[in-house]
Amino acid sequence: MNPIDKNARSEQAEIDASAKWPVLVFFAWAIWWLLAGGVLQLVASVQLHSPEFLAGCAWTTHGRIVPAAQNALVYGWGMNAAFAFGLWLMARLSATTLRHGGWLFVAAKFWNVGVILGILGILGGYSTSFELLEMPRFVTLILLIAYAMVGVWGITTFSIRNTENVYASQWYLFGAAFWFPWIYSIAQIMLLKAPVRGVLQPIVNAWYVQGLYGLWFIPIALAAAYYFLPKIVGKPVANYYLAPLAFWWLAAATALAGGSRLIGAPVPVWVSTLGGAANFLLVVPVVVIALNLFGTLAGNYGALGRSITLRFIFLSMLGFVGASILNFALANHGFAAIAQLTLISDLRDWLILYACFSTAMFGAAYFIIPRLTGREWQSSSLVKTHFGTAALGIGLLVVALAAGGWTQGHMLNNESIETGSLFGEMARELSVWFTLRSIGLALLLLGHVAFLINFGFQTWAMFSKNSKVAAFRNPPALSLTKVSVTEGHA
Amino acid sequence: MSSSPDNKYRFEEAGASDDSIQQVHAQLRKQMPEKAHGGYPFLPLGVLGMMCCAVLFGAIYLANYSIRFDPLVVNEHAKREKPGAIVQAPVSPVMLGKKVFGTICITCHQATGQGVPGVFPPLAGSEWAQGDEERIIRIVLLGLNGPVKVENKDFNNAMPALGTSLKDEQIAHALTYVRQEWGNKAPEVQPEAVARIRAELGNRSKPFTADELLKIGK
Amino acid sequence: MKNGLALFLGVFAIIAVSWAGVLLAAHKQLGSLSQFRDPTDDTLYPQRMSGLADEGRMVYQDLGCATCHTQQVRHEGFGADIARKWGQRPSYARDYIRDKTVLIGQSRMGPDLRNVGVRLGETTSADDYSDYFYKILYAPESVASGNMPSYKFLFDTHSTRDRQPSYLALKLTGKSAPASGYEVVPSYRARALVAYLESLKDTYDYPTERSLNATAGKSTEEGH
Repeated sequence: MNPIDKNARSEQAEIDASAKWPVLVFFAWAIWWLLAGGVLQLVASVQLHSPEFLAGCAWTTHGRIVPAAQNALVYGWGMNAAFAFGLWLMARLSATTLRHGGWLFVAAKFWNVGVILGILGILGGYSTSFELLEMPRFVTLILLIAYAMVGVWGITTFSIRNTENVYASQWYLFGAAFWFPWIYSIAQIMLLKAPVRGVLQPIVNAWYVQGLYGLWFIPIALAAAYYFLPKIVGKPVANYYLAPLAFWWLAAATALAGGSRLIGAPVPVWVSTLGGAANFLLVVPVVVIALNLFGTLAGNYGALGRSITLRFIFLSMLGFVGASILNFALANHGFAAIAQLTLISDLRDWLILYACFSTAMFGAAYFIIPRLTGREWQSSSLVKTHFGTAALGIGLLVVALAAGGWTQGHMLNNESIETGSLFGEMARELSVWFTLRSIGLALLLLGHVAFLINFGFQTWAMFSKNSKVAAFRNPPALSLTKVSVTEGHA
Repeated sequence: MSSSPDNKYRFEEAGASDDSIQQVHAQLRKQMPEKAHGGYPFLPLGVLGMMCCAVLFGAIYLANYSIRFDPLVVNEHAKREKPGAIVQAPVSPVMLGKKVFGTICITCHQATGQGVPGVFPPLAGSEWAQGDEERIIRIVLLGLNGPVKVENKDFNNAMPALGTSLKDEQIAHALTYVRQEWGNKAPEVQPEAVARIRAELGNRSKPFTADELLKIGK
Repeated sequence: MKNGLALFLGVFAIIAVSWAGVLLAAHKQLGSLSQFRDPTDDTLYPQRMSGLADEGRMVYQDLGCATCHTQQVRHEGFGADIARKWGQRPSYARDYIRDKTVLIGQSRMGPDLRNVGVRLGETTSADDYSDYFYKILYAPESVASGNMPSYKFLFDTHSTRDRQPSYLALKLTGKSAPASGYEVVPSYRARALVAYLESLKDTYDYPTERSLNATAGKSTEEGH
């Protein structure tokens, strides 16, 4: 073992030690929100096939539970997990420690108190009814201040980097760190502080929603994929010279694609047409990214069997491609005339948030957390349960939402079904798909519980003296020649 | 070490160090694929071709369906050339009259034009409504007082004068609506006719009576 | 991309272009869209909402009705909105300038509500709109089928002993009727919500929008 390797090794240990508590705190919050949001989501789903379920109280009426669940998953789980992963990876790739991490605890507290107040606000009747901006106005400032602390830490870590080069994951993290606060504050100002008039409101809203999914969640998921593939497979990213092109093209086209959510809506037609055209352009980066990621895996699919992180990342890659295809389809008039405003448009957003982003974060968590706590995962059957339920749950939800949405769209467009009886018939036709969705969501929730228990065990083990300390192998250096994974698998 | 089959998911081994990932990829960025057998590499050309196609299709799509970037157009299949001067699609007097009727006349004569039996006379099928316009214009302008026989039923009530609150066009449109709705069939009333009668009446403000009206016109 | 500044400028430019190209451009075009003055009766359309209806808009917002209901009639040739008589004509941008919060919605688990104030195409024959709305809020299954939940919490049920029956009391029959000696009365929030629903009607057809949006190759001149 040469001394340089040893140095790198101890540096990494130092980085992990500096990131330990902030990252664990963000992960803990994230997992708690994952469960809270999952329960709310399950309730909302059950209400669709049993409308009387919890309908008696204003706090749990369907119209409030749905946005509450969505906000809990996006701002609670999604953002906390992204913070945890983003800060850790930024520190690792910039080869510098996270300094003054104490401020990040303050940020975590502010952020999560803000989200709790926001969710209670939605349930209590202060919803603004703008998609993904439902949380009442007073939490905006709390969230922005908390975000500023996290974002500044990420960016500072990047700017004091000790490395000569900048890797693809860093571009995505860096971009996302700036894009989110900008689009969030623009949307807040244009919708709530100094509201624009008329249909400009839905335009701003669609622009924000597209931005949040496309310029925050997808970049974070891609940062994870670009990092963990070479990291675990031990092989450089295939056709990496195309990656910068994909990054810029993806960001520029996504930023303009928001209008496609308003296809058919009473907004100037150029808004949705521009969104549609931007979606055509998105084909290029999606193909390039798929070449990068799947190309790296090609010939190494055996590695999936050995690594749970890689398996989650693989799900995330599939989710990314699936969501991109669906997004493209929904930008076409013919398909949108049927699928727009049905469960299929819900499916698109869910694919990004769960199948693409959340799975990437699960993969990252399985890799990162043992390095922070210095302990192995206590139960591999819980890990397997988590992966199994995630894969099965995603499959069930895709089927339920796609088939349900397709039926729904055709019934809505079938004028021979009288409007008076349409929704009764629709509820009957869709109830099987709604039930399937509830089963899928319950499965996912089961997996999340397994994840939480394992996480709890692990933090417990960290404090107990006689638990076994995980011993990580010193990672070999990546070489330009193709390396098979089995090599060095001692 | 720990990768024995029974606990392989306990933690993840890294296959490459961060440092080497950075360095190798920095090198790879500059490194284009080797030319296979002296020819051009397929992939960059393929990507370039895809980029050109996407831009071309995107541009055509945008040009085709943005309809002059007109803010008021919501239909992507609307006419692409600008309609010269915006032709105000003609609105029929009946449509306009329905609006006047719906705000004023409807209170007594009802949306069905049936009136209220014994209180307000019907307009649907009424010989007055479909009769000479000279009479009904006068009724609307100055009102009608006292007994009147409509469709063989007697009514005795007062209709208020509307001449001061309605313009000639509005009166003409409302009357046209009444004369052509509910199966009524009678010619349109022109605003000029209302203007002429308004002028003839001068400063008279006394409401008409049915007897008085029956002497006018046919 | 070794240079952090270049990365930053690129990242910034992407948002700046998107903001200016989509939001600012649309705002420039539509930000001052005004009411249309009808040349014949000098009335401004869309007409303004009553105060009670605007309060109802807030109830609609806070109950999350937009989760399942849209408020947009899509143009002919795109879905069956017009054929379903969810509107006599498609919705235009101008229709929405009267709404303080524009709730076009993105999911049709229930019917479109943009013209529910005139109940176009509904097969129920109840004469009294508000009666229908109160019933569908209190006991949806009594007037319509589907998976709409009940909003019983918007109503007060109280005994009619020693008091005059309320003129607002719901006329309920069958399963949803309260026990005898009791009546169900809509709360202020329910009344505001119903006033809002009744205010939802885009009956005026703007001549400019109509001629601009006519499908190419189709005659536009037929009136309604």
